[in-house]
Amino acid sequence: MIEIADGEISLEQMVERARSSQAGAVVSFLGTVRDDGIEGMEVEAFRDAALSELEAIRQEAMSRFSLIAAEVAHRTGRLEVGEAIVAIVCSAAHREEAFSGCRYILEELKSRAPLWKKEISGEGGRWVEGK
Amino acid sequence: MRVKVLAFAGFREILGRDREVELPGDASIGELLETLASGSPRFREAAFEPSGILRDYVLLMVNRKRIDAEKDLSRILADGDELAIFPPLAGG
Repeated sequence: MIEIADGEISLEQMVERARSSQAGAVVSFLGTVRDDGIEGMEVEAFRDAALSELEAIRQEAMSRFSLIAAEVAHRTGRLEVGEAIVAIVCSAAHREEAFSGCRYILEELKSRAPLWKKEISGEGGRWVEGK
Repeated sequence: MRVKVLAFAGFREILGRDREVELPGDASIGELLETLASGSPRFREAAFEPSGILRDYVLLMVNRKRIDAEKDLSRILADGDELAIFPPLAGG
């Protein structure tokens, strides 16, 4: 399941959906707002384009790493320090595939999904420079 | 013809989230960007080098497909096309 939403991410529900009797490994990744002297973060998405790009990335990961399930959730809107920005859960028969799938989805998301972050501090906001 | 312009992140703060722009029938992507710059000195400064070349951090999509800003600025737009303007991606 792919999700881009303002609401809090439920990693537990994502893990639950990814579990199956065929899976011997469920790997999860949570990216959170780090306190770099900021008050919080705002995340913006080109939602429809990001959803289809994330679905393409998910499909690639599923076939490359023989995943059983892959779940991706990305927050938008205002986030406080410590809150989850992104969550990825991959299940596979064995741990190597599940770790690799999780890493692949994260790295591809960062370079391909139209999403942007703005750090909010007392001095105002600063868009995080993308690559 | 009318085309839709979507802007994100820093460009949204300058241009607004979305707008429709009226253009002559054979207008190119470059001409659309010039029309936007004519209406907004802030956008011109953010998107173009002083020499008039598009800055390399300006990314474009037409109808949800990324285009090469160096090669495709002369591409002719069609009525109803959607151009998205945004800086380099920074999700995750």
